[in-house]
Amino acid sequence: MSAAQWIVLKFGGTSVSTKARWATIGKLANSRLAEGGCVLIVVSAVSGVTDQLKALIEAEPAARAELAQRLVEQHRAFAAELGVDAAILAEVEAELDECLSSPHAAARAFPWQARVFALGELWSSRLGAAFLTASGTTTEWLDARTQLSAQALPNQGDWARHLSTTCQVQHAPALAEQLAQAGRSQITQGFIARNLSGETVLLGRGGSDTSAACFGTLLGASRVEIWTDVPGMFSANPRRVPQARLLRHLDYDEAQEIATTGAKVLHPRCLGPVREGGVPLWIKDTQRPDLEGTCIDASGGDGPLSVKAISHRIGVTLVSMESIGMWQQVGFLADVFDYFRRHGLSVDLIGSAETNVTVSLDPSENLLSADTLEALCADLARVCRVKVIAPCAAITLVGRGMRRMLHRLSEVLAEFGEQRVHLVSQSSNNLNLTFVVDESIAEALLPRLHEHLIRARVMAVDDARLFGPSWEALSAPEDVTLPLPWWQRERDKLLQIAAEQGPAYVYHLDSVRNQARRLQQIEPVDRWFYAIKANDHPQLLQALVAQGFGLECVSAAEVAHVQRHCADLDAARIMFTPNFAPRDEYRQALAADVMVTVDALHALAQWGEDFAGAQIALRVDLGPGRGHHDKVRTGGSASKFGLAPSELAQAQELARKVGAKVVGLHAHLGSGILDPQHWAEVYAQLAALGERFVDLRWLDIGGGLGVPGQGERELDLDLVAAGLAKVKALYPQWALHMEPGRYLVADAGVLLTRVTQTKLKHGVRFVGVDAGMNALLRPALYDAVHPIANLTRLDEPATETVTVVGPICESGDVLGRERRLPASVEGDIIAIAQAGAYGAVMANRYNRRPLIAEVLL
Amino acid sequence: MRDDFDPRAVESFSFVAASYADGQARLVYALDDLQLTEVISFPGAPAVPVGREAAVAKALAMLHWLAGTSYYKASVAKQIRFDGGLPDAQAAALIADVYEQGLAEFAYVNQLDLSGRFELPSAPGGAPGTVLQLPRRALVAIGGGKDSLVSIELLKQREEPFAVTWVGNSELIRRCAERCGRPTLNIKRQIAPELIELNRRGAYNGHVPVTAINSAILTLAALLYGYDEVVFSNESSAAAATLTHQGKAVNHQWSKGPAFELAFDGWVRKQVAADMRYYSLLRPLSELGVTARFAKLDQYFDVFSSCNRNFRLSGEKPSSRWCGECPKCHFVFLALAPFLAKPALVRIFGRNLLDLPELIADFEALCEWGADKPFECVGEARESRAALARLSERADWQEDAVVAHFHRRILPQLPATDRDLDALLSVGDDSSLPQRLRCAFA
Repeated sequence: MSAAQWIVLKFGGTSVSTKARWATIGKLANSRLAEGGCVLIVVSAVSGVTDQLKALIEAEPAARAELAQRLVEQHRAFAAELGVDAAILAEVEAELDECLSSPHAAARAFPWQARVFALGELWSSRLGAAFLTASGTTTEWLDARTQLSAQALPNQGDWARHLSTTCQVQHAPALAEQLAQAGRSQITQGFIARNLSGETVLLGRGGSDTSAACFGTLLGASRVEIWTDVPGMFSANPRRVPQARLLRHLDYDEAQEIATTGAKVLHPRCLGPVREGGVPLWIKDTQRPDLEGTCIDASGGDGPLSVKAISHRIGVTLVSMESIGMWQQVGFLADVFDYFRRHGLSVDLIGSAETNVTVSLDPSENLLSADTLEALCADLARVCRVKVIAPCAAITLVGRGMRRMLHRLSEVLAEFGEQRVHLVSQSSNNLNLTFVVDESIAEALLPRLHEHLIRARVMAVDDARLFGPSWEALSAPEDVTLPLPWWQRERDKLLQIAAEQGPAYVYHLDSVRNQARRLQQIEPVDRWFYAIKANDHPQLLQALVAQGFGLECVSAAEVAHVQRHCADLDAARIMFTPNFAPRDEYRQALAADVMVTVDALHALAQWGEDFAGAQIALRVDLGPGRGHHDKVRTGGSASKFGLAPSELAQAQELARKVGAKVVGLHAHLGSGILDPQHWAEVYAQLAALGERFVDLRWLDIGGGLGVPGQGERELDLDLVAAGLAKVKALYPQWALHMEPGRYLVADAGVLLTRVTQTKLKHGVRFVGVDAGMNALLRPALYDAVHPIANLTRLDEPATETVTVVGPICESGDVLGRERRLPASVEGDIIAIAQAGAYGAVMANRYNRRPLIAEVLL
Repeated sequence: MRDDFDPRAVESFSFVAASYADGQARLVYALDDLQLTEVISFPGAPAVPVGREAAVAKALAMLHWLAGTSYYKASVAKQIRFDGGLPDAQAAALIADVYEQGLAEFAYVNQLDLSGRFELPSAPGGAPGTVLQLPRRALVAIGGGKDSLVSIELLKQREEPFAVTWVGNSELIRRCAERCGRPTLNIKRQIAPELIELNRRGAYNGHVPVTAINSAILTLAALLYGYDEVVFSNESSAAAATLTHQGKAVNHQWSKGPAFELAFDGWVRKQVAADMRYYSLLRPLSELGVTARFAKLDQYFDVFSSCNRNFRLSGEKPSSRWCGECPKCHFVFLALAPFLAKPALVRIFGRNLLDLPELIADFEALCEWGADKPFECVGEARESRAALARLSERADWQEDAVVAHFHRRILPQLPATDRDLDALLSVGDDSSLPQRLRCAFA
């Protein structure tokens, strides 16, 4: 080990663009210096400068002076903002002048381009050295080109040899020592190096990260810290999977695999040098320097067996080659691959069988803008049958020891089973398992796969050494103290009710009204309906009607129920939205003059005369449904709800023939949705269909507003409103309706039940209660998770992990698994929360157990 | 649900008044006593330029009359009143045409008989339009689809001076327009709120000849801002009638056809300004001719949409711009396929529509094979046939479900002429274009 201990810190363009950001760099450098060693800061050009330099290169020579002047002024102004003397920029400006007057400028020679591009980093590092020194941390300016030298590779073109080079580096203890003597704090440029002729060259994409990694190895650094605007690497792309977890610890190969197969936070090229030198690489968040981020080092793969990440790439093209006679022939594959080589196409994944070999091609300029694929296929067609399958997405599970996890992937594989999987590839390095599927399904698949991996415990998210918080949790506003749930505040009353009534549902009307008021703040929605199937208790309906809600019914009996208990409600505020209901129910609803929604051609085609002169709505199935469980997804080809968009023209024509006016379009894609953008998407899709319906007056985008469970973020209604407002501005001609159910009532209800018996069997502790799936079906039906508390012992610490079960003779009669509760004894009152929706309405008399009471508070 | 507005009870429809001030045109109509005002906003428009007052007045009046289709249709009152002054004979003929032909689909769908309703009164014309010395530059309408983008790039290539313009608040069109790298002009149209209310209460509603209305809006804009051409991008197949009803042609896109173009341009030149032109640049091209050209414009691939659904939000995902289910999606996919690398084409749509066996019947319909061509703005059957014939020869396409089906079942029965794609790319009659643009497609 060298005597001088170095830490390399790398900062990107946005991190060096303001004075405040430079102050942060100073602070971070100081805290590293306080560890006793030396610090090397590697910086990119100020944000936007590289693009301006590119524009300058591309501009006509005559137009360059003006662009150059703008850059000079911009950096001088920044120097003034930083409070440093602009004279320190003189050398860079002189270099710029030299470039402009160079004889190579007119032809835009590659070495000349590299020199021009390098100016950005030279500028920012000069500014940084002066600023940090002025702020009290004497920082030496180091020219990266004196230390990093690039080697030309065989087969490398002229462009790559100057603008996308690679450096081979080895630990140089003498250099580490010598630099330490020159100054404990140094700053240098990312992205640039020299070649053997001493010319300036560039390291290509991700170049600054690679520079930092090279310096880390060169100096034998104790670590390289890459400072970014994200907390680190995640177990999936957080934009697609908000539940993705921060990856705390990876080995080099895993990180390389994740970076190569999709993640953008780190360029895979930078992992080579640190792996060679065994230097740990950290990814850190400039905004939250205290967050530990991601650590990549040699021991990262040592922990428990776990899938670390799902990554995905889109735009993949598959070439499937089918051959019957030639398979056993020596040289067949060599011939086939030779065609790919000749057309300049690099093959990524390969799957082969007796008579078929399928390969994948990543998107490239060559593939997209030229006839390359056509020409390749024409050649291949001479030796085999060829089929091009595109666009595909490659979904990769990454984790060391993948083969030993295969047997635990059954649920994950089942998710793929519903889709067309074109290719499966498991690499021999045992690090990944890749599925190639249709691109159009990949995005919806990712969150589900992630969830399955966690549920199947293949992704060991409970291991805090490997996994950090979710993206969602990290982006949540801090310091939110949730108010005590109403049922905890009203504990004494509830215990009394339980004592008097036995098992009972208790509803808290104020909670319902509060939720209603919160929704009514969503300004773009013109009219609210409550889907009464969630909970049709008369007083609850009356409270919502009083609040201005209409009511949505799905059966004639529900309509009758509403008319009985809310007699003053205008028929126009009652919607009838059935699915596969018999003809008679439609007739009753039409006679009652409520708004009828039709969701199959059958009704219009077979019972046309019933609809003569009526105003109706059509329910559309907009495609793949969303929601927390298969059984609550109500869109997509497997769903029985709605008309396919392709059937709408026919429905419209049938309606016209029978003299019915289509005044509403309705879509409802699922339940329990926590993505605030979902409704704007449904709204936009539905509105896009609206124009052809000349009598259209309103669009109903359903409900499905999610009620957060444990560890989930609350749905941000302001974001929902903002999304809807944007669409509304584009389609102001139609009123907007929504029809939430569960969102209004779930939290307003608890199920109270009494402990009957406890049992310890094979190490599993069961707590039996006197209300099971006969009272609350959701856990058995949807795998729903309800919060469970021992109301009698609310103040006692949870000491046991138990499974809470009901009295029904079904193995599925489980209300909650692995719950932490205080030691519960016979007679304790257990509260099952979030039971206000789909509780009592789904209760049944199975095992001849009586229906249980409903009490309003 | 019952309606409380009975359109049949309305006796008269009136063109009450039209005015222009401070960048806003106000168009006032009345159904009996109920007044409805539409406002069209021209951002940053100057006061009416000196010397163009008469032309602006005529263009404004025409806009009033043509935009009136939206309000007239609410009740189709028997009596039509011109409170603000009568059109001259040429204008009256144009208006009658736009109402009769442009509202034909509306009448068909609502089962209304409007024949004989548009024998409009007229007054002797004033002075014809003179040479206004308008600046030599064009206002080019953009719609977010492939057609106007082909026009725009053609004009750019020829270094023609122009601005890109559209009416309404579509974000999708805005993104396309911004990609063009030319000045943009976004005109806003605010339909009278009373009309929206009437529609909710039971007024007649339906298709209006929106291209005719937009043509009038752009003509007024050209006079206000100083442009001497208004350019649309309708191609040759826009002329075909969609269906025949009670002996009359019902054309979904009548105002995109050559009859309207000729009549409107004639009126502009004679009555508004002798140095002004209104035309469709793509009239000499077939759909395939347009897609062949569009295939080279990859800068628009991730923003444009020709889908039949009226997507206005500009989503990132292909599925937020292309439904993949309508005949337009099917046709545009097929028509682009011969001219684009397959990976580039499927990237635009996010899926490969020619490899979905469930779409075989839809593509057969496009070819008019055993089924009628859909009532949509899609190319001619021979264009679809020729495109599929070309793909049948290509190794990268021929195994795809629709192509393989066509190759096996349909192609052997087609005459050789139906396979000739190149013949369909030839440029048709370009005599409707200004002299300097003829041969632009050579």
